[in-house]
Amino acid sequence: MAEDLILELKGITKIFPGVKALNKVHFQLRRGEVHALMGENGAGKSTFIKVITGVHAAEEGQMFLEGQEVHFKGPRDAQEAGIAAVYQHPTSYPTLSVTENIFMGHEDVKSGMIQWRNMNAEAQKLLDSLDADFKPTDEVGALTIAQQQMVEIAKALSTNAKIIILDEPTAALTANESEKLYEIVERLRDEGKSIIFISHRFEDMYRLATRVTVFRDSQYIGTYDVDGISNADLIKAMVGREITDMYPKEDIELGDEIFRVEGMTRTGYFKDVSFDVKAGEIIGLTGLVGAGRTETIESICGITRPDSGKVFLEGKELTIKEPVDAMKAGIILLPEDRQKQGLILSWGLGRNVTLPIQGELANNGFNDEKKERELAKQRLEEVDTKAVTIFQPASSLSGGNQQKVVVAKALAQSNMKVVIMDEPTKGIDVGAKKEIYEIMGQLAKKGYGIIMISSEMPEIIGMSDRIFVMCNGKVSGCLQRSEVTQERILELSMEKSDSKKGGAA
Amino acid sequence: MAGKSGREISAVPEGGIKSKLLSWEGALVLILIGVNILGVAISPNYNVNNVLREMPRYLAEIFMMFGMGYILVLGDIDISVGALVCLAGTVTVLSSNAGAPFIVAVIICLGVGLLGGMLNGFIATRFTELPTMIVTLGTQIIFRGIAEVLFETWGNGGGTASMADTKGLMLLAKKLGPFPIAFFCVIIVGVIMIVVLAKTTFGRKLYAIGSNKTAAYYAGIKVERIRFICYSLLGFLSGLCALFLLTATFGSNTTTGQGFEMEVIAMCVFGGIATTGGKGNLTGAFIAAFIIVCLRIALGQRNINTQVILVIIGLMLIISVLVPSISSAITARKKRA
Ligand SMILES: Nc1ncnc2c1ncn2[C@@H]1O[C@H](COP(=O)(O)OP(=O)(O)OP(=O)(O)O)[C@@H](O)[C@H]1O
Ligand SMILES: [Mg+2]
Repeated sequence: MAEDLILELKGITKIFPGVKALNKVHFQLRRGEVHALMGENGAGKSTFIKVITGVHAAEEGQMFLEGQEVHFKGPRDAQEAGIAAVYQHPTSYPTLSVTENIFMGHEDVKSGMIQWRNMNAEAQKLLDSLDADFKPTDEVGALTIAQQQMVEIAKALSTNAKIIILDEPTAALTANESEKLYEIVERLRDEGKSIIFISHRFEDMYRLATRVTVFRDSQYIGTYDVDGISNADLIKAMVGREITDMYPKEDIELGDEIFRVEGMTRTGYFKDVSFDVKAGEIIGLTGLVGAGRTETIESICGITRPDSGKVFLEGKELTIKEPVDAMKAGIILLPEDRQKQGLILSWGLGRNVTLPIQGELANNGFNDEKKERELAKQRLEEVDTKAVTIFQPASSLSGGNQQKVVVAKALAQSNMKVVIMDEPTKGIDVGAKKEIYEIMGQLAKKGYGIIMISSEMPEIIGMSDRIFVMCNGKVSGCLQRSEVTQERILELSMEKSDSKKGGAA
Repeated sequence: MAGKSGREISAVPEGGIKSKLLSWEGALVLILIGVNILGVAISPNYNVNNVLREMPRYLAEIFMMFGMGYILVLGDIDISVGALVCLAGTVTVLSSNAGAPFIVAVIICLGVGLLGGMLNGFIATRFTELPTMIVTLGTQIIFRGIAEVLFETWGNGGGTASMADTKGLMLLAKKLGPFPIAFFCVIIVGVIMIVVLAKTTFGRKLYAIGSNKTAAYYAGIKVERIRFICYSLLGFLSGLCALFLLTATFGSNTTTGQGFEMEVIAMCVFGGIATTGGKGNLTGAFIAAFIIVCLRIALGQRNINTQVILVIIGLMLIISVLVPSISSAITARKKRA
């Protein structure tokens, strides 16, 4: 049976200093299919994509596009050949407009003049086709993550690509927004485009893909029909071992109230938010993207100033003016955006982990590098970071491993009483996810209070004792573990007047 | 405890003597030696004694350079400090001429520097949306403007002010053995500034801010307070610069300190500090400063026009910032071949 392959890669090897990121991997993409690419953090998925798009030159291997061997010297060649990619970490220009971002590199130019009117009209068409709720003239930096994602997709579409590659597009999206993305992908598929879709979320794969290829430890493990492989077998292919009991939530005796927020308000962001956490309790905070979850906890932690509101720790009211005040009190924040807020990408992993506590480890203001190294190594290994040394720059890690460094950094803070985790498992593979859940369980057992913001329904439901749902900047409800269902959360995340529209989406 | 997979991460620092010698600082030491050989070759007067005698007026700038190094590591810039030297020097001269004892004049000199730096720091940290280049361009004009008003009102006319009582300054210009006092002061200040930047938590915070301000803030660093401290420190060191400059000039005029800020930025960049922040160290800058000083003295002894000297230094600067891109281009080509 002759398959209609639009893209085929054979024996691809890519070596970075000290790491073989890809070791003779294969890949076949059929015309008009949605093909999932899965595997552990650091398995080489993103690197593979960058080999396809000519960002990285492979040391070995061949690539065939519609049967013809091709050699791309750079992203431009791939673009011209009809391949477009949305990368894992956004490559947009935040201060430029949506139109400028979409047409960056292939502007519509007539006799040296940029045709703004044409481009804006063209951009509007693309946005309409994606059902986007923003304008071509909007500044990209002011958009939500989901909207920025859409800009990147519009950018990919603007080149009229035949092959579209999406690297973890749903990592930052809630169920509703993911649904919207699914619909876009399905439409593109129906239009005859071929799509490679990377994700750590199984629901993405089940919903969209007909076939799935798995990489592990830089190697090709296999390609399977989604219908023909069980979830357990797929997980085993991905992580090399079996994983049972994904959410190891233990019932532990809850202590007294450890943390309470009262009447937090910041005009235009959130209003009158109150909640409490008991010692040993895991609180889930969810809602749609844009519901004000991140903004609320950023105000709690002193990143931004609320207009009003009180924060109590162990019954005592705190005055938090700056992040350092929250930290000193023992409220530790694991921020949402690992590349901008969580890490110094040019620094080694070790220094990143110990940055918030370098003062505690130091002797009279002098850095104790030895202590720092030991502690960093220990914490990084605890979350199973895939790295060679603690000195390699954070930028050289895969996305999921960068996230693990952010987790390790939060855990290194010894005076922790309450930890607020904003999307802690964003982009993390199944195996490591479970380890982070286990760590959360251990922290709870030790009597810490844990607040987890997450857009991922299964993890919110699987791990939380209580779930606070936010909608349009307000807490719309609180659900006990015993009464929680996906439907109830969704109901609470959508505004009453909006519920018809949202329900149909 | 290693993770589930039992993967280990190495925590053994690499490096050692070889990587030290291959570093940019190693290269700078070689260049410094080269410049001195060149000096001896082109000028019969180029010897230790003469170099040390001509050094003080250049040494003054090096104080300022250390402060500028901190500011650049933060990812900021301060172009007002040349004018601040003029202002501090002028106020010192005028107050001494008005009868202030030398020790008071010294305190005034350092105090004016510190206050000027604090003003920069205050504006830069209060109005964080303003680019620091613009803030300090503004204060540069203000500092020099005030100095000029002072000249006109109390100076010796013609835009100058010279110190009547130079006894105190002569004392500071003295030598201990062959070395001027300024030389020792530069070394002491330099060692402290180098060690603080390289070894302390304070220094690490500067690199964190210069590398990613947002992440530094999230990690609990008081970003604005540290920026304020660094601006104030640079101001204070500019006061010190003004003081030691007086030991060579005994007065100040409208052009005093002009271009200092650019020269010290050049020293820092030549020494490997990136103006984009977060990179480089003061050891490199310290060596680079001496390279530039020795080069100027050597070329000056050959009566080479100062403008030509500036062209040469400018070229060196551009080449030095190109070195990393050139060497990475070479390794990339090697790899491809
Ligand atoms: N620029 C680089 N320099 C050095 N090593 C790199 C670089 N980019 C990636 N690597 C290494 O290559 C390996 C594969 O990384 P890659 O980003 O492809 O993983 P991934 O499968 O996309 O993982 P994730 O699910 O976490 O995104 C990792 O070990 C990573 O550390
Ligand atoms: Mg990736």
